Amino acid sequence: MTTFALDTSTPSPALALVQDDGSAATLRLDASPNAGRRVMLAAHGLFVSTGIDVADVRRVVVGVGPGAFTGVRIGIATALGLGQALGCPVEGVVTHEAAALGMAQVAPDGALVVPASDARRGELFAAAYRWDGATLTTLVEPCAIAPADLASLVAERLDERGAVVGGNGAQILAPHLPAGAYALAAGSPGHGIDARHLVARADAGATVPVRPVYARLPDAEVNRLRNLEAAS
Amino acid sequence: MIAGPVLAIETSCDETAAAVVEGRDVRSSVVASQADLHAPYGGVVPEVAARHHLGTVNAVLDEALDRAGVAAGDLVAVAVTQRPGLIGALLVGLSTARAFAYARRLPMAMVDHLHGHIAAAWLNPVALDPPFVSLVASGGHTRLDLVRDLAAPQLVGQTIDDAAGEALDKGARLLGLGYPGGPALERLAAAGDRAAHRFPIALAGKGVRDFSFAGVKTSLMYAVREAGDLDDAARADLAASYQEAIMTPLAERLVAAARQHGVPAVTVGGGVAANGRLREMVTAKAEAAGLRVAFPDRALCTDNAAMIGAAAQFTPLVEWPGFVSLDAMPTAPPGGIAA
Ligand SMILES: [Zn+2]
Repeated sequence: MTTFALDTSTPSPALALVQDDGSAATLRLDASPNAGRRVMLAAHGLFVSTGIDVADVRRVVVGVGPGAFTGVRIGIATALGLGQALGCPVEGVVTHEAAALGMAQVAPDGALVVPASDARRGELFAAAYRWDGATLTTLVEPCAIAPADLASLVAERLDERGAVVGGNGAQILAPHLPAGAYALAAGSPGHGIDARHLVARADAGATVPVRPVYARLPDAEVNRLRNLEAAS
Repeated sequence: MIAGPVLAIETSCDETAAAVVEGRDVRSSVVASQADLHAPYGGVVPEVAARHHLGTVNAVLDEALDRAGVAAGDLVAVAVTQRPGLIGALLVGLSTARAFAYARRLPMAMVDHLHGHIAAAWLNPVALDPPFVSLVASGGHTRLDLVRDLAAPQLVGQTIDDAAGEALDKGARLLGLGYPGGPALERLAAAGDRAAHRFPIALAGKGVRDFSFAGVKTSLMYAVREAGDLDDAARADLAASYQEAIMTPLAERLVAAARQHGVPAVTVGGGVAANGRLREMVTAKAEAAGLRVAFPDRALCTDNAAMIGAAAQFTPLVEWPGFVSLDAMPTAPPGGIAA
């Protein structure tokens, strides 16, 4: 059975075709602001290079964010469109959980792993996890958060095993980090999402509804609520 | 023409729509309107629209296939609105349609939304064939096209400032009506005297095919301010007179363009085309000029996917997998609909 996995919620969309025996072909696009819009072209490239027919896909796994709103939506719309056309199940996985699995591979054993992507406006889309080699435990749920606030949450949960921050928000968080926590070096493979890890999370039963994790209200809603509050 | 059922998807603004069209027949057309969702903001909020499209599009698509009694395997092509529109909204429909077509190895038609409005009258039961002149008037667009060939409508007039529907919405707001304003204004206007006020009609003159609605909106603002406290009758008179000043140039220039170019028919599309007063005026003027008037059903005038399936018949098909690199566009490319 072939599983197609994709995540377009970061500037470097990740894709994979994973077989039941664990063999996989993966692809990650170079970071660019609109890279998610090229996901179907990338997917076609993956199908052609592996010789796998799209009709043989029996399951789709998609990262649901948090991340750039439009990117998250493109991934989910693509996954659901494929699932609908193929009549196969579509499973959602929190993007930061897949990111955490990748980071854990380059972090010290038992370290806190903190995937952090740039959410603009002085915030990060971030979460914190601990991986013991078999189980991923969530310590901070995915959220949009200021770097200093995230650093405090990390400090409260830090022990002698340390903490590692990855993702394109790592350098933004770095100056705020407590001793014992560090950001992965630029160029570390731990920064990017490996789409196989989406499938690993789904296989571990960590699926979520196939809906975006926005972690933020639309601006218009924020303003409307603010006006209501001011008027009351 | 495409032989067989075409699945069409439209998500350019605030309606999530899917349809199955086979030739001129609308086998199903499903529209999930978000209007209520945007009402608290007084207008369409792009991010809210995009979020809602994603939550709705798959169910709407399923229902369109269901109602048509068509299985995914029966489809011969997928059509989608590619441009113009709210980019976040367009990308939901385009990503869905593109993935669907890719998985089924179907060709795609990347349709211009305005082309859809123009082609709506070609569908059964109206079944209008070229040549004709089309008026598309909505909250985002106001244009006249000379259609000698449905694959290549020629723009012959357009608004130079506000769209007609936008002017109606703004007028409704000045009169204290909610959003969306067009239908509310029409209901209020029904009780009013349309000759009570003389609002200016911009760009008046023989041969003028463009439109301008910024001036009439300003005139209404002054009239409301001058009147002070308005009773219901006074508000109805203002609504009726204002609506008249918007609809008059639309109807007159549509009919004048048809006469100028010697074509035997006119049609209307877009949300404003659902307005009863516009239909009345176009009918009267066209009949006086000996022209056929072809009004699509109101549900095919406001945004829908059946019209996208209609325009797909006159849009070059992109064979599988060539469309994987095609993207949505917020504005139409220079050169217009056929480009
Ligand atoms: Zn429209």
